[in-house]
Amino acid sequence: MPISKINIKIQLLFFGATADVIGSRELEVDLIEGESVSSLLERLQKQNPRIASEKLLVAINEEYAKPDVALKAGDEVAIFTAVSGG
Amino acid sequence: MDFAELTTEPIDITSVARRVVPPDCGATVTLDGYVRQFTKGRETQHLFYEAYDPMALKEMQKLIDQAKQEFEISNIGIAHRLGKLDIGETSVVISVAAPHRKAAFAACEWLIRELKRTVPIWKKEVYADGEVWIKGSET
Repeated sequence: MPISKINIKIQLLFFGATADVIGSRELEVDLIEGESVSSLLERLQKQNPRIASEKLLVAINEEYAKPDVALKAGDEVAIFTAVSGG
Repeated sequence: MDFAELTTEPIDITSVARRVVPPDCGATVTLDGYVRQFTKGRETQHLFYEAYDPMALKEMQKLIDQAKQEFEISNIGIAHRLGKLDIGETSVVISVAAPHRKAAFAACEWLIRELKRTVPIWKKEVYADGEVWIKGSET
């Protein structure tokens, strides 16, 4: 039986340098359910050469996420460079 | 009491330091982090801070919880400023109250180090001839 691919929507949030490069602070994107964080980052970095060499961090629903985590419908995914508060 | 706050208003250092004091404490160590005019010889005109607010507050609370487990301390208050800051203005205050000073110094140092590494806040330095988002070195 073929595995059906389910399209889902997630909310992307950008901050600081990443928001400047993307030209937006918030984007809704479609992807296939189960796509990993690292695969999403790879696509974004291909589309935006200016962040291609950046080490990007990801938080899903306000918690730091590892690259192999699978994305689910309705996730709020924040993408940013290393934090620099203080 | 413990607290973690983000604000776009100037931070009153003394009030942060006083709010953490319980009756069983003998010392409060307070870090006042403020905007430096010269960084590696380059002159900063002002700074701009932004945060992923809800996550930043959660991460600050995690640091408070963890520090209270690891150090002999009573209360912690953290306040971080956001928005535009001029030279010399306070960007972050961390106050740690403890029965004895040694643990308060150690916890305060640990808290600022971890805040700079994990709390989603970003700093943009604005110079006469341009601006740059600063990237943290750790993580």
